[in-house]
Amino acid sequence: MSHAAVSILKVDHLSYRYPSGQLALCDVSFSVGMHEVVGLVGPNGAGKTTLLLHLNGLLTGTRQAPAGSAAQSGPGADNAPSAPVEVLGMPVVPANFPEVRRIVGFLFQDPDDQLFCPTVRNDVAFGPMNLEFPLDEVVRRVDEALTAVGLADLGERSPRELSFGEKRRVCLAGVLACEPSLLALDEPSSNLDPRARRGVIDILKECAAAKIIASHDLELVLELCGRVLVLDQGRIHADGPALEILADERLMSRHGLEVPLSIRLAARREA
Amino acid sequence: MQGPVMPADFLDRFSRGNTVCHRMPARLKIVLTLSVIFVSIVLPASYWPAQGCLACLVFAALSLAEIPIAYLARRILLILPLVLMTALAAPLSHGFASGWETAFGIVFRTLVAFLAALWLVNTTPFDRLLAGLCRLGMPRLFATLLAFVYRYLFVLFDELARMRTAQRARTFGPGPVKTAWKSRVQLVGTLLIRALDRAERVHGAMCARGWRGKMHSLN
Repeated sequence: MSHAAVSILKVDHLSYRYPSGQLALCDVSFSVGMHEVVGLVGPNGAGKTTLLLHLNGLLTGTRQAPAGSAAQSGPGADNAPSAPVEVLGMPVVPANFPEVRRIVGFLFQDPDDQLFCPTVRNDVAFGPMNLEFPLDEVVRRVDEALTAVGLADLGERSPRELSFGEKRRVCLAGVLACEPSLLALDEPSSNLDPRARRGVIDILKECAAAKIIASHDLELVLELCGRVLVLDQGRIHADGPALEILADERLMSRHGLEVPLSIRLAARREA
Repeated sequence: MQGPVMPADFLDRFSRGNTVCHRMPARLKIVLTLSVIFVSIVLPASYWPAQGCLACLVFAALSLAEIPIAYLARRILLILPLVLMTALAAPLSHGFASGWETAFGIVFRTLVAFLAALWLVNTTPFDRLLAGLCRLGMPRLFATLLAFVYRYLFVLFDELARMRTAQRARTFGPGPVKTAWKSRVQLVGTLLIRALDRAERVHGAMCARGWRGKMHSLN
């Protein structure tokens, strides 16, 4: 495929069952190009977080579409089940985890889960240290990442002393310090006040990496993403230009979403 | 609405000050604190001049570090019941003649040790304290464990406080004792499950940033 040459992420017929037996992802296929920004929207429990967790191997699904589904697997897909997720052409399998996790940065929803070190600087340094960079390189990356999120003077603080918005930004710094080529962001704007939300959006705009953003904040998706995937009950129901999909009222309401107010207002103004 | 069960800076509110004590190397402070505690325990309780000198030393260090008396008093009040109970056992078991002196010794030494420890944690940020302990020979794994306890203890306390608030919001009147205890047990059970879930998420977040089983530190 000529497309593969420019895509950073390829998900191919990915299915995943929770240990409880419930089907969480069903025959999910899409790819993300270099520097592309993709929004992932869908109702609660659609499988957005589960899908993101597959991108760096924290969960590993299977390739085949489950029996009985209407999926069309490519010829030979069933007798040669390989990894359903590829990052820069590398299958996401345990042998490749270190490399894959260097490329894919992951922002978790709850900053308290992601900030586990005693001080902000130590936390931001966690990724680069694990990548075993020399100390001066680690320090450079930490300083750069903290400056990028505007928290250069909070380095010696303990995560407990920060506001929620500051915690979220430190999490981002910790991810950016690894200089990933693909960012997987799980609800980057949840629980933030408008100013903190704006701060996060601006940081994300500055960062050139490809991004896949799972969010209920459709205005944020509209602002940042050129393309949107609609995920509902573990399946992808739509994949296309953000403006087109988010403006499709029937599609939105069928999947528990709504057309962002900005689009509705613009349409009203035109009418 | 009542505040958090335990505010996040409960034990080391003043650890980020900038006094002579704060600027001392962590290792030196650890050794000093441990020696004060050790000497206070080893010296006979009846040898008052020496014990008094130790207490003066600790008080001098505390005032040098500019730690407010009111803060110290409130922390002492917390452990005082426990200390007094232990101390009271002495006159009751040894007889009242020599018992009182023993009891006084117990209270005095515990307070000296407690205040010395408070001085240490309120003049040394926790990460420096851990780094100091490691340089003095504490295993790294132990430091990692302590760092996690320090980080997540208060997160768990906050979670508990939120759950209790939510529970109170739906509790009307005192109700029967049996129900009250039942809901308390449920609270603890839920907290445990949430803590386990969180542990799993934290582990995931560590793996996502390349964790391979070894904790590095910038210091």
